[in-house]
Amino acid sequence: MTMETMNNYNGTILIVDLDAKSCSTQDLTEELIEKALGGAAINMELYEQYKDREPLILGSGFFTATFAPAACGGVITAKSPITGKIAHVPFGWQTGVELKLTGFDFVVVLGKAAAPVRLWLHDGLSDINDSADIWGKDVWESTDKLREVYGDDMAQMLLIGKAGENKNPLAVVSENYWGGKDKAGLGAVFGAKNLKAVAMRGLGSLEVADGFFQKCVELKNGIIAGTIKGKAGLYDIGTALGIDAAALDKLKSITHRNDAGYNCAYPYYTFLKYNEAPTFVDMMGGSKEPGCLVSDLMGFASLAAAGVDAPRAMEKCYRLGLEPAAAGALLKKQGAGIDGLDGLAAGGAADGLAAWSVAGALDSAIAAQTTAFSMAVPTRAIFGGQLDADGWIKRQALAYVLGIDPVMAVLSPEITVENMAELVQISAEWDDFSADTLNTICAELVKKSA
Amino acid sequence: MALKVDPMKCTGCRICEFACNYHHDGSISPIGSSLMYYYEEKKNYYGMMVKRDKTLMLGRPEGEKVLMPGEQIEGAGASAKPILLRIACDLCKEEDNGPVCMQACPYGVLSMEG
Repeated sequence: MTMETMNNYNGTILIVDLDAKSCSTQDLTEELIEKALGGAAINMELYEQYKDREPLILGSGFFTATFAPAACGGVITAKSPITGKIAHVPFGWQTGVELKLTGFDFVVVLGKAAAPVRLWLHDGLSDINDSADIWGKDVWESTDKLREVYGDDMAQMLLIGKAGENKNPLAVVSENYWGGKDKAGLGAVFGAKNLKAVAMRGLGSLEVADGFFQKCVELKNGIIAGTIKGKAGLYDIGTALGIDAAALDKLKSITHRNDAGYNCAYPYYTFLKYNEAPTFVDMMGGSKEPGCLVSDLMGFASLAAAGVDAPRAMEKCYRLGLEPAAAGALLKKQGAGIDGLDGLAAGGAADGLAAWSVAGALDSAIAAQTTAFSMAVPTRAIFGGQLDADGWIKRQALAYVLGIDPVMAVLSPEITVENMAELVQISAEWDDFSADTLNTICAELVKKSA
Repeated sequence: MALKVDPMKCTGCRICEFACNYHHDGSISPIGSSLMYYYEEKKNYYGMMVKRDKTLMLGRPEGEKVLMPGEQIEGAGASAKPILLRIACDLCKEEDNGPVCMQACPYGVLSMEG
């Protein structure tokens, strides 16, 4: 077997020992890449290696930050305080790319800090910094503060709010200001480690194999001509999935613009403006905080069903670092208004979680097999094609290993195991890599995560 | 001829920036590109800047604007490598299939004018 690993990775795993407040590195070896390829599958290998130290692992996928379609993804792996089992929580938009370009492909966080800390990863360097300055501050204030402290508006964050600090199982790991795909309570794992944030700025580089760019352009052109053609934003996804029409009409009425994660051909992040006219644009003027960016339809619909102002409630969940789908279900149960979210973030219990963790027959079919993947990702085909529970799990495993956005993996039936295996071959000049090998790695991931 | 940005088609996916860097030095990185993404994240205000040979094109959501030498970029935020220090767009003259940013963009944001 030969491969050019520098086309896909920096070659470095960072080990962060919070007990000793020290960092060290180990090589990302060809043997490990050959065995598990990347993303959640390598995270699982590292989890096993360090499982006695309550590991929390951040990993980048094999294609993360490359020209491969939708290659924006990273994945956090830890034991979920909700299920007691392994959870893989994807992070994307620009955060996955930023992790890889810091110079660290994987980050293993062990133990617990004696006092609040954050990690600052940049230019192949890692710092564990005290974080009394932002502990107790909400996600928005903390993101602003960290960008100011580190002097870079483009720094990307994974961080927690009050819910995570309180080790509440409803806590999420947020991507910058905007929540994320954490339905597994990994925000509480950050909190239990006294880890407020991981701040990342990546100015590193990867090499590129001959022919890789053109092959990726071909694949991208196939995706944009496929089932997503003519569609955009959360509104079109929600309509296709049959989400409550009144909630969607509200969303549409205040939509400012649809945004996409790195190299994603469908913009499923929708920015809602409710503190100024939705069409207002001015770099210097207007509200500094005109609204919020929404990508979690399940959360939005749940808050709408609770009878509260869903866009503003989303913002409040983001600030508190609170999972919006569960929060909506609990508000409804309590008959509470938006202010009830403060109480949910303050508490340490999660009564009523069952209302949110499994919703609908197909979700139950998935949950019967695995709870390792994020239920923030729609569980059926959206604009075309067929997707049963087995198919969804396989597509998610593929996305989580390769660093492909998991929603894009559902939106783009044009992304197949076969063409991804061919792309691995081209990308790493790895001639004997096959679709069978990729299938086996994905199946092993599902099995080991059970 | 010059590269042109249609800012309201842009979704901020940034692949053009990385493609441009690949054209210039053969690697994946955000810092050697003639294109630069800028944003005010909480305002969802974003666009692409293009370093041209003599001018700077701002693909701002209010509309396009071309800055002449000596003009200031109002409100520009902190950046790891200012756009004015970057290599100018050469329109990928030696690339077989035209500008790589145009090839990579999924949204038809970039085009040639003039």
